[in-house]
Amino acid sequence: MPNDKNSQKIVDMITGFARSNSLFMLAYGTGCGDIEIPPAMTSRYDWERFGYRKMATPRQADVLLISGYLATKTLKRVIRSYEQMQEPKYVIGFGSCTINGGMYWDSYNTINMLDHYIPVDVYINGCMPRPEAVMSGLFELQEMIKRGDANGAQKYRENLEWYRANQKKIIKNWKMPDYNW
Amino acid sequence: MDEFWMKIIGFVATVLLAFVVGAVYGGLVRKIIARTQNRIGPPWYQNFIDILKLYSKSSAINHGFMQHIAPAMAITASVTVLMFVPVLTGDGWFPWFENLNFKGDLIFLVYMMVFGSLGMALGIGQTGNPNAAIGVSRGLSMMVGYEIPFVMALVALMVQTETTSITGLMEYQDQHGWLMFSSPFAFIAAVMAMLGMFHYGPFDVAFAPSELASGPPSEFGGKYLALMMTSGSIFAFAKLVLFVDIFMNGASNLIILVIKTLVLYMIPVLYGAVSPRYRTEQAIRYFWGWPTFFGALAIIFAIYY
Amino acid sequence: MNSLLLVILILLAGAVLSFLANRIMPILSGVMSFLSIGAAAVIFFVQVSAADSMAIPISGFSLHWGINAYSWLFGAMVLGLSVFVALYAIAFMKGKDRLGYFFFNFNLTIMAMMGIVFSTDWVSLFIFWEIMTWSSFLIIIYAGISEGRVGTKYMIFSAIGGYAMFMAILVSNSLLGSFQIADLVSGFGTLSLGNQALIGILFMVAFGVKSAVMPLHVWAPRAYADSPMAFTAIFSGLLSKMGIFGMGILMISVFAQGTIGQTFIFSNILAWLGAVTSVIATFYALIQKDAKRLLAYSSIAQLGYIIVGLAIGTPLSIMAALFLAVVHAIFKGTLFMVVGAVERQAGTTNMEELGALIRKMPWTFMAALFSIIALAGVPPLGGFVGKWMLYESLITSGFGANYFLVIMVFLSSTAAFLYSYRFLFGLFLGQEEPEFDHVKEAPAIMVVPMVVLALLLLVIGAFPGLLFEPIANAMAYMGVDVNWNMTVLSNVWGDEVHMEPLWTSILVMFVIGATFLTFKTRRNTRYVTTKDIHTSGEIPEAHENMTFSVNFYQPFERAIEPVMKRKMDTYYNRIGEGLESLFGFARKIYTGNGQTYAIYVIIFLSILILIGETIFNK
Repeated sequence: MPNDKNSQKIVDMITGFARSNSLFMLAYGTGCGDIEIPPAMTSRYDWERFGYRKMATPRQADVLLISGYLATKTLKRVIRSYEQMQEPKYVIGFGSCTINGGMYWDSYNTINMLDHYIPVDVYINGCMPRPEAVMSGLFELQEMIKRGDANGAQKYRENLEWYRANQKKIIKNWKMPDYNW
Repeated sequence: MDEFWMKIIGFVATVLLAFVVGAVYGGLVRKIIARTQNRIGPPWYQNFIDILKLYSKSSAINHGFMQHIAPAMAITASVTVLMFVPVLTGDGWFPWFENLNFKGDLIFLVYMMVFGSLGMALGIGQTGNPNAAIGVSRGLSMMVGYEIPFVMALVALMVQTETTSITGLMEYQDQHGWLMFSSPFAFIAAVMAMLGMFHYGPFDVAFAPSELASGPPSEFGGKYLALMMTSGSIFAFAKLVLFVDIFMNGASNLIILVIKTLVLYMIPVLYGAVSPRYRTEQAIRYFWGWPTFFGALAIIFAIYY
Repeated sequence: MNSLLLVILILLAGAVLSFLANRIMPILSGVMSFLSIGAAAVIFFVQVSAADSMAIPISGFSLHWGINAYSWLFGAMVLGLSVFVALYAIAFMKGKDRLGYFFFNFNLTIMAMMGIVFSTDWVSLFIFWEIMTWSSFLIIIYAGISEGRVGTKYMIFSAIGGYAMFMAILVSNSLLGSFQIADLVSGFGTLSLGNQALIGILFMVAFGVKSAVMPLHVWAPRAYADSPMAFTAIFSGLLSKMGIFGMGILMISVFAQGTIGQTFIFSNILAWLGAVTSVIATFYALIQKDAKRLLAYSSIAQLGYIIVGLAIGTPLSIMAALFLAVVHAIFKGTLFMVVGAVERQAGTTNMEELGALIRKMPWTFMAALFSIIALAGVPPLGGFVGKWMLYESLITSGFGANYFLVIMVFLSSTAAFLYSYRFLFGLFLGQEEPEFDHVKEAPAIMVVPMVVLALLLLVIGAFPGLLFEPIANAMAYMGVDVNWNMTVLSNVWGDEVHMEPLWTSILVMFVIGATFLTFKTRRNTRYVTTKDIHTSGEIPEAHENMTFSVNFYQPFERAIEPVMKRKMDTYYNRIGEGLESLFGFARKIYTGNGQTYAIYVIIFLSILILIGETIFNK
């Protein structure tokens, strides 16, 4: 087909539009950053305007929102939840703790760089980032999805061994079920 | 052969119409609930984007055969119910939307409506998710609650009009006016049952996102959730049209249909938007209280009508 | 030889042969039983015609046998299902002891049921009735005396029923001078109202015991659950239908002749009893933990519908009742076979322990699924047709109380969805557990009967006319004419349900939906185990059981709590206690002391001497 590329482009545009304008979020709210989510959801900032919505289970969600620091204990759950999500899936690191450990940088039981364990598409800087910052991070993610840059899942699949090695360094008693794509 | 193709086109048109209207209503409901909470809310077409997004998901999981085909059973039930409900009356566009209207009756529809939920329940059961099973248990229990006043209202109508088919009821209304006014108690009972039927608050305990992780659909994602949402939109529309047909004499064109269904739909939506959540047994007792009383009143009224 | 006698003799010979065959080789016992039932079925379906009749003279009195359209329907039901169950029983009973005992009684029960169906006079009906009672009793106690004294309960109630029938037969004979059923039908109208009521109530008690109507049902749940499942399929599917068979004769033809038929009291009380039976039994079914008990209560509930249909007495309702009777025999027979297969393969039928057998026993699951859909009355399977006709007959009956009766029936059948789902969920769905990893599909000889019967339900759903035909013939014989159509259901107001477009719509949409789900992103759709679920990121251990199956319907139980407080059992227990104190008093009279007895004799003689003059000199 001669115009196969063009039709593919149109399909990409439509799916990009749909995917970017309907983000179902799984908020992993163990960190202190989770307190910034309710204002973003409720009447003050109302993120449902942009099609964002909180979902209850990883099966239905597109975006994993890591709100703040991750203890070594909770990392296992995050990985599990991430792997249970359906593709395409995106991760948002929320607050300084996910970038470099933040104020817990030398803590014995938190991880410092989230990017070493699961692929992060967008970081939102700040401690705490205000709801405006959260929203701007989400806009950034939307743009990335439209451009087709938000391919963290693909990265994870390709570098699975590297990620696994990092994860196993933290999680000593590794009892996770095998990951089969 | 031509007639056959006309029929097929009619089916497809009806299903598309139901999907579009149902999904728009879904978006409007989200908008309205947002407004009651002093938010702006998503655009009215948000549900289309959501469903499109879910269809464009590139991976899916299932826990076995029953879960795999459960959404297919749900959409089968929705479309079949829609096929047996008269969408438009009168001339003009009518032949397009005739479908299977003269081939079924109310009792059949009441049972057909359960087909989808039972099929879904089986698929949900296979996921093995305890939250989902709790949701099914609550949902089915509540169903026993609201079906009783609903059927009482239907029996009252059938007794009063001496017909059990929807088209028969509509012919009766052509001569005697809307059944909503000539059988008021049945209308009250049916509307109160409708509150439960649409699973908005205070009867949303089966799907409570915060306590059951959204309950029944918690293991469904991607294409499965997409088909479920499509089926849900079609089913909501079919139920609304059924209510409009039996109480408000249907609609002769699309605009009237939209107005009537929307007005009716606002009752459970607005009631739900401001209501907290009942526990299951409270909900069942609610339905077996006043709604059942009005249902019984409706039957007595119909006997002496 | 007369074909009726041949059927009975083959079944009897099969009973004896299977008893003897056990000595040679245990498995031969079941094979003999199956062969004899199969032969009897072939003879019944090929040879027996409406003209057949015979009389067996016994010392100045003869037993009359014959067959008509009505009894053909029940005979076909009995032999049709028995063939499948007998085939199933070969594998089900394999490896158990006392097979000769079991299959002897198994065959004898079927013979007795055929005898009941063939009888045209009350005496032979009574004889076969008692054979049926005794042989089924012997199978109930096959596993030994259970803690609830199930067999005793069954025997007591059956004895009450038997005596009631015996009295009714004698009363009608003394009034009409004949034991013929036909004579009762024609002569019933000439009796006085009191005698009509007496005969009616006595017969109703007799048949009510077997079909487990409300106050007489207490034996049923345990008796159904405790006998071997291969027999319970017969017990619940067919033996209870013998009660319906008798009730049908009475309700359709006998009472229609008399004045009782027209009076409000009799048929309506029975209809309400049937409806209340079905509601209460349904409520009990959905709180059961054991799949067998659940099905046992469900049988009682389903028989309630049939009784409602018979009692209302309009042509459509009778048709609904007979249709439900046949369909119930099929799906409940299948379901009990399913439970038997699960019990044999997994070792338990407790729904709180079992789970996720669907991947291990897919064919059994398929049979269970179709039967449950038919049980719940969801279109488009056979059960829906019967339910639809029952509702429509109640709604179109034009009688005020029936409109509330339809609500009762509806409550019962909506609540039936709950236990239907509980059954499938408890046995086949839910979390997979390592405890049941060893479970395999049941042997083919068990699976084939179940699957064939389940497919039969599909066929009946698509072409209900296949069943309408014999039913309409039976009703025509009983003097009730009814219209029927192969694929269209209709009521007296002229409203119709067409099965053909319904099936088309369902099949087309289902195929479209299933195809879409299968081929959309096919390569990225993967199967995951039931441990891989959303557990908030927690990883469950292999032994951790996360199935939600204990107190499954607790919220519903709370809602219906006031109804569940009363149990019929307690009333009977109180009667029993009263009787016990009465016997305690009698015990005081019989002191066991010879001297006391001597005084009794003297007192008795002196009374006799004092008043005997006036008695004997009359």
